[in-house]
Amino acid sequence: MHSETPLPAELHGQVEELRKEHLLIDVRPREEMNRMVLEAMEDTSREWKWAMAFLGLVTVVTLFGAWAYLMSTGMGLAGIRRPIFWGLFIVSFVFWIGISHAGTFVSAILRVFKAEFRRPFTRAAELMTTFALMGAGLYPLIHLGRTWRFYWMVPYPNQRWLWPNFRSPLVWDFFAINTYLIGSTLYLYLPLIPDLAMARDKSTGWRKKLYTILSLGWRGTEEEWRHLTKAIQIFAWAIIPVMFSVHTIVSWDFAVAMKLGWHSTIFGPYFITGAILSGIAAVGSVLYLVRTTMKNMTYFIRPEHFDTLGKLLLIISMGWTYFFFNEFILEWYGGEHTVKEIIRFYTQGDIAPVWWLMVICNIFIPWAVLWNRNWRRKPWVMFLMGLIVNVGMYAERYVIVTGALSRNRIPFDWGWYQPSLVEISIAFGTFTLFLFMYGMASRLIPLIPVWEVEEGHHAHSLRKVGKTVVPSVADLE
Amino acid sequence: MSREGLTRRDVLKLAGVGGAVAAVLSGCGPMAKYVRRRPYVEQPEYALPGKSVYFATTCRECPAGCGLVVRTVEGRAIKVEGNPNHPLNRGSTCARAQAALQGLYNPDRARGPKVRGGKAITWEEGIDAVARALQDTPPEGIVFLLGLAPDHLAELVYEITQALGAPPPIRFGALAMVEARQTLAAAAEAVFGQKAVPTFDIAKADLVISFGANFLETWLSPVAYAKAYGAMRQGHPGRRGVFVQIEPRMSMTGANADLWLPAKPGTEGLVALALGRLMAEVAGVEAPEPFAQVDPAQVAQAAEVPLEKLEKVARYAVQDVERVVALPGGVVLGYENGVEVAQAILALNGLLERLGKPSLVYFTPPAGGREPLAPATYKELMDLVDRMNAGQVKALFIHGVNPVYEFPKVLGFEEALLKVPLVISFASFDDETVPYAHYHLPDHTFLESWGYQRVQVGADREVLSGFQPVVVPVFDTRATADVLLAAVQKVGGALAEQVPYKNEVEFIQKQVAEFQKRNDGIYQAAHPKVFWALFLQHGGWWTQEATATPAQAQVPTVQVGEAKFDRGELHLVVFPHPILADGASANNPWLQETPDPTTTVMWNTWVEVHPETAAQMGLENDDLVLIDSPYGAIFASVYVYPGIRPDTIAIPMGQGHTALGRWAKNRGANPIDLLGFGVNGAGDAAFGQVRVTVRKMGRRQVLARKENTVGVYGDGRYQPVDKRKEEEEKVTSTQE
Amino acid sequence: MAGEEHTKWVMVIDLDRCTGCNACVTACAMENNVAFAGEEENAYGRGMHWIRLVRYWEGEYPEVQMRTMPMMCQQCSNAPCEPVCPVFATLHSEAEELNIQVYNRCIGTRYCANNCPYIARTFNWFDYEWPEPMNYYLNPDVTVRRRGIMEKCTFCIQRIRRAQEEARLEGRPVRDGEVQPACAQACPTDAIVFGNWQDPHSKVRQLAESQRGFKFLEELGTEPKVIYLSSQRHEF
Repeated sequence: MHSETPLPAELHGQVEELRKEHLLIDVRPREEMNRMVLEAMEDTSREWKWAMAFLGLVTVVTLFGAWAYLMSTGMGLAGIRRPIFWGLFIVSFVFWIGISHAGTFVSAILRVFKAEFRRPFTRAAELMTTFALMGAGLYPLIHLGRTWRFYWMVPYPNQRWLWPNFRSPLVWDFFAINTYLIGSTLYLYLPLIPDLAMARDKSTGWRKKLYTILSLGWRGTEEEWRHLTKAIQIFAWAIIPVMFSVHTIVSWDFAVAMKLGWHSTIFGPYFITGAILSGIAAVGSVLYLVRTTMKNMTYFIRPEHFDTLGKLLLIISMGWTYFFFNEFILEWYGGEHTVKEIIRFYTQGDIAPVWWLMVICNIFIPWAVLWNRNWRRKPWVMFLMGLIVNVGMYAERYVIVTGALSRNRIPFDWGWYQPSLVEISIAFGTFTLFLFMYGMASRLIPLIPVWEVEEGHHAHSLRKVGKTVVPSVADLE
Repeated sequence: MSREGLTRRDVLKLAGVGGAVAAVLSGCGPMAKYVRRRPYVEQPEYALPGKSVYFATTCRECPAGCGLVVRTVEGRAIKVEGNPNHPLNRGSTCARAQAALQGLYNPDRARGPKVRGGKAITWEEGIDAVARALQDTPPEGIVFLLGLAPDHLAELVYEITQALGAPPPIRFGALAMVEARQTLAAAAEAVFGQKAVPTFDIAKADLVISFGANFLETWLSPVAYAKAYGAMRQGHPGRRGVFVQIEPRMSMTGANADLWLPAKPGTEGLVALALGRLMAEVAGVEAPEPFAQVDPAQVAQAAEVPLEKLEKVARYAVQDVERVVALPGGVVLGYENGVEVAQAILALNGLLERLGKPSLVYFTPPAGGREPLAPATYKELMDLVDRMNAGQVKALFIHGVNPVYEFPKVLGFEEALLKVPLVISFASFDDETVPYAHYHLPDHTFLESWGYQRVQVGADREVLSGFQPVVVPVFDTRATADVLLAAVQKVGGALAEQVPYKNEVEFIQKQVAEFQKRNDGIYQAAHPKVFWALFLQHGGWWTQEATATPAQAQVPTVQVGEAKFDRGELHLVVFPHPILADGASANNPWLQETPDPTTTVMWNTWVEVHPETAAQMGLENDDLVLIDSPYGAIFASVYVYPGIRPDTIAIPMGQGHTALGRWAKNRGANPIDLLGFGVNGAGDAAFGQVRVTVRKMGRRQVLARKENTVGVYGDGRYQPVDKRKEEEEKVTSTQE
Repeated sequence: MAGEEHTKWVMVIDLDRCTGCNACVTACAMENNVAFAGEEENAYGRGMHWIRLVRYWEGEYPEVQMRTMPMMCQQCSNAPCEPVCPVFATLHSEAEELNIQVYNRCIGTRYCANNCPYIARTFNWFDYEWPEPMNYYLNPDVTVRRRGIMEKCTFCIQRIRRAQEEARLEGRPVRDGEVQPACAQACPTDAIVFGNWQDPHSKVRQLAESQRGFKFLEELGTEPKVIYLSSQRHEF
């Protein structure tokens, strides 16, 4: 990389403005940044070990222990009952799928649209995608009555010549999630290679061996960079439709059903917006955790980032509200008996506290808080906002899944769902699993894509040949 | 065996083994007569693996005597089906018959004879005990307490008691108590001139006016009546029968009525008279004596029934339709003036006949011309308790009834039992009475038994419904008739001469043989064995043609008077559970799990309270309440029931067992405990005169329901009228 | 006619005859090895009834009226449960035109139950037990279901099969009324009638021509094969 060209004085202000706008950080040498990132990565302090041990243990007990108990005893341990056959497991499934949109959105969409502020935290967000998907992917297994037969959903040659039912949205789910998981993992891995090579060069012991394998012999030649950037570009474009398809298909689990409250044509975009909303919100929370618990991160993750995330969150919240309005008000306007009852049930029935929690957390609080730049710039506010919006989004999925099922066309068979301890334990366990995996990963891979940050530096430093200002790399991309 | 061939020694060995095998397989006990066990290689030709074998038999879940066909596969009973040829039920069954297999294969059945305290004994010892009891007890000290089924045992016991010089057996049961058969018979005598329980031919009716009779649930012959009900509604093209029910609590039967009139308890007889007077007025004739004495307007006011409705019913009955029948039953007979009420109601049939309507009442001709032994009245039962208390009963044999559970607590039967020196129970289950028995000699359940039932009501012809074992006994139980006959033979002497049957089957065959002489049966056979085989194959004997003739009704003079009630705030209706009935089969889990038709409650006892009464008392669904009558108290959960008078509560029988098995024990409450001493003119229990107070316990005990309270009542709570109306609109709109 | 190649099994339920006595519920459970779940599970809404009586109250005291409607799998020709199953555990049988539930194939996603507008499906929440010797009565023609799988009314397909086999052995078509599901067989008022729609002389065909006939939630396009005859009421 080149060293920076001194700037003419009259351009300084312009550059500062540009940097601010794109959230570029005050430039430090590559070596310095490498050191900072590696230091953060290798900081396996006592506190971190305790936290990991605790999270791991809690996950084993609350998630895997409860799951084993559930599997060996029967689905009856969950709180579901006629006619609500899906409960917290599907709620959590949709929720984690939603969270998984964070990485892709931040990384791929913002990359494609060249939103520069994304650079320092693309990897942090992509990691969320992968781990959230892993968490989400557990649920279709957990919620099966006979988990040990899950492979029947996989198309494989068998003596009965039976394929899965390709008409079933659950099979679509299966393919969509797997595609997304593979795609997003590769998409996480590709930009990681140069950083792994960097880590390989600077570390010793087992880490050296590990990074040697993982960095695939990266040397940083022109050829390699060309291939890498090309591959990343392809993936960034390719993963976007996959992302849209995943949550659309998840929404189709509901939308294609003959179930009032589910059978809605708006569910595709509604779910995607909701997913991005919860994803962005979760990025804010996770970045706050990264910034406060890891060394040197205040340099990379700054109030400006939170500010931009906040703006994004506000816009998406508005988009979500638009769909929400369409979903409920228009159905209510139709005046169909059962729909009317469903809406009555949402707003006044037993599930009303959850429904109103959703409205408050997803609309009222974000709209009240996020318009304010000062609050947006406070990391802890954005941390709380992330939590609040995600509580709201969890509530939304809870209402959609269990609320709609509670009401049907036969009033004799209406019902009401309460999650059981086992369900709550498993749902909680995926949160600790996520934190555990994230915590482990934060000490295994460089959490900040140093080369991308530096690329940003270079891209937005102005070059001047004679009197002409030469367009930067970023503008040429 | 040596190579040279069989030696003499080998042959002897083989013969010995073969003999032993033959002895074991053919059996040596009294069952040898009818259970033939063979080695596998020599299976009977019908017992092919994988092939079903069907046996015709009779249901004993209630005394009605419906014909069953039981499907068995490889020696196991798989399914109970109705006998399509049986004149009573024509192939249908009720829920109780369906679940009977769970009684047969119930893990909580008594598994063998034992003495008090649970020590197992051999059948020899048991039979010895019975023989000693028959021999050593002075005849007047011997009492047989039997259920209403089976009839063959009652008749055999009757013969034994006659031979001994002992009092005839006493037949009783909780179901009989609330059916008030003697009351019906007494009233029938006054109106039809025949002292028997009449059958109402509702199948042909255009209008059925029922006063409290729950004939679609448990009443007398529910499947026959349900069959007739179906025919009444849609069996005649272009003519749909109409049904009016008058009762304080909407029973499942009442729930099917076109018009349900919740008359004030105790006024049903007057309503009948008023209806009669209105009919006479419509017809333009002078009302005969009992009807003339009432003023319809006054009665309607007293009964809290719209006069206009009564007028419309009267007009419909007289002007619009041809065939009308009025029948009394249920709580209506359970007042102190129950006989008079029943007479007033039955008199309507007489009046209608005078108005030129055909009679729709007949008496089922008893099979073989022999009336089955009538059930005892409540009064006779009380006399029995007195005799027991006085030490006059020395040996008490109990079969087919569970007195400690089924008899009202106030009778003091439990205490009286302790004063009887020898109690022998023949219960198939370890029921509440068994701990009081010195010997427990369990009988088979009916699907393992021989026997017959003389159909008493519901059939239009003579029906002798036969039992036969459909499987070999599951446990070490023995037919009570066999035990008694073995004991009789052990006693020997004059008794054995007068009761000369070797075993139960011989006794039954002798009874059945009488029908061989008849030429109007559905089959004839020259040889007794062939006849017997046909009897078993058909599941009984009945005549080819319907022989019952319509009974001519009189209009008797009757003073209905006023019903008396105990002190208390609310009227109590104790009704047989539509599924569990008297609770004798409460340990069949699928009976427990079958929802009650009107409330959809399963597995527990509920108390039905009118919505307004509940609101006044601050009661909500599932609130636990104490129901207190002058005679006893029970706890039950509230079911806010829209079909009951505000001044009445209702509790189903059938639960509240303290024994019987894992599914019945400690479940719900037994409302029989609330009943008192009152009797009516026929000696039957005046169970309808009890009044109770209800106290909120401040605790909830959620009832298992099939319905969802949220859907039906809105979030589980009773709602004010307007809001519920909304819900109903929704219900109807979704239903259409 | 009425050869087994051309069968369309149809059930007619006369609501005017139906008294709501629940005999069909017990009969169905005993025929089809339906497990009993006990009081707590039922109170929680986990009864295993394949057929249930949907009961409504109408009107206010004293004009209150009870209405019941036996409800079970309607064997829809266009069944919402079928396309959503990922493993073909619930599918349409071409021969009988019935919805088949393949217990062995079911993995328990419970999607079919959510998608059934008749709420006709029940799920095995646990392994249910018939304590010895109660298991003796279990019907050998019907699979005993284990935990984690879905089940529902089958129109007693084992009885259809048995009748068809007997008819084939005797070289004749299945006679009208020869196949009776357990509910129809038990029904004390003959409210439930079962038969082959393709047979123009069958009783179901004649009954279905009644003006009272309707199909429940027909407007959803499920094409149910249970035809209800509406109940009537004489107004006094």
